[in-house]
Amino acid sequence: MSGGIGIWVAAILTLAIFSFLYKDNPFFKFAEHLLVGVSAGYYLVQYFFSAAYKKLVVPVFVNHDYVLVVGGILGIMMFTRLNRKTEWISRYPVAFYVAAWAGYVIPSYVQVRILQQAESTIFNPAAVSLKEAVSLFVLLIGVVTTLIYFYFSAEHKGALKGISKVGITFLMIGFGATFGYNVMGRISLLIGRFQFLFADWLKLIR
Amino acid sequence: MAFYDRMMSIDRRIIFLSIGLAVALPVIWPLGIPVQVSEESRSFYREIEKLKEGDVILLSIDYEGDVMAEVDPMSVAVMKHAFSKNLKVVALTTYAGGTGIAERILNEAARNYGKTYGEDYAFLGYNPDWSGTILRLGESFRATYPTDQHGRVTGEIPLMKRVETYRDISLIVSISGSGLSEYWAIWAGGRYGVKVISGNTAIQAILIYPYYQAHQILGFLGGLKGAAEYEVLIKQPALATKGMDAQSAAHGLMVVFIIVGNVGFFLARRAHRRARAQGENA
Repeated sequence: MSGGIGIWVAAILTLAIFSFLYKDNPFFKFAEHLLVGVSAGYYLVQYFFSAAYKKLVVPVFVNHDYVLVVGGILGIMMFTRLNRKTEWISRYPVAFYVAAWAGYVIPSYVQVRILQQAESTIFNPAAVSLKEAVSLFVLLIGVVTTLIYFYFSAEHKGALKGISKVGITFLMIGFGATFGYNVMGRISLLIGRFQFLFADWLKLIR
Repeated sequence: MAFYDRMMSIDRRIIFLSIGLAVALPVIWPLGIPVQVSEESRSFYREIEKLKEGDVILLSIDYEGDVMAEVDPMSVAVMKHAFSKNLKVVALTTYAGGTGIAERILNEAARNYGKTYGEDYAFLGYNPDWSGTILRLGESFRATYPTDQHGRVTGEIPLMKRVETYRDISLIVSISGSGLSEYWAIWAGGRYGVKVISGNTAIQAILIYPYYQAHQILGFLGGLKGAAEYEVLIKQPALATKGMDAQSAAHGLMVVFIIVGNVGFFLARRAHRRARAQGENA
């Protein structure tokens, strides 16, 4: 076993968290609460300095960029939510934020997530290889049948029922792939912890 | 309890212990299962490989400690690849907890390749509001990040003198622990036309495929497997490659558990049907 105090602390906390796999216990609770407390402190300081200090205090009081005061006032108005009598004031910055966000998002989303995505389902079979053509054809069938599955303005019977069944099959394949990736992700995190324990802490591997 | 009922009610602690052993043993004693490279990872590699010496890439390290095991090897490998090709790297993070991670990766790569801060790479640090950050970088890097992570004025950093907007960036590499790569593709790619490639956690990877298929993201690495493939491509196998044996063993065991559970389910259903039929006949 080796390493500095940091590695020892990290290793012991990792084992404390792992102990939950057997059953809930005071070591797990301690590690969990420590994580919440440390995270809250870290993020509070980070957000204050990177947002309030660097983006408001310095530009306004050092660089005399007074237009930012408007944003600062809107930000302070958000804190009126803490009092029931004054919480209505916070609706103004929320309204401003929602409007600005909608302006940001709507044109870009329509272009990238709808128009360009729809465009990518249109293809010329003569201009692509057989393998690509098959792949693009499957994609086209998947998009159309899945969209039809979510078409609720007519009862799903007859041809519509058959097509929507194909659509739900594509959805199920998608969910299966998502589950597979989920498993891979969780196992990867476990591998990362074991690599840390065996390499950095116990020095069993290099 | 019937055998098929036992198949469906294995104590969860036995499952945890089995998975733990399936992961731990190959980590200690690697099996050396070869890593097959996917087209997505190859495309990711090609986009960096295409760049010329001196080109500037924007590396966005958008994750925190919780997903480091999956995506950290990607950032490390990107830095090795970029510095081995003498590319310039402008790094940033839109995650408050990402600053320490990014600094460690940048400093280590710079030390190994003999690169100088300010000349070969720069770290702009953390900026709150990722949406505003991505959009505003298209107008001005210096206005979005007046100072770098260490408080140096961005406009006075030699590398940043030649980087005004996305026009001066040859490629954006988004290594993300969330859906942020999509937003780099939507805003930086869709609005400003800059090329985007991404490295994502396995959970996010499935959401990246539509962007990859539509050429909005030109290549991507999906989870630890993607990181391992990229390490193979740059011929520098490291942590991700070492983790793939454990990944394969754990996946194999998961498949066995799923089969056991399903066989138990169908056997139980058949037994219950038989019992019901016998009850009706009696």
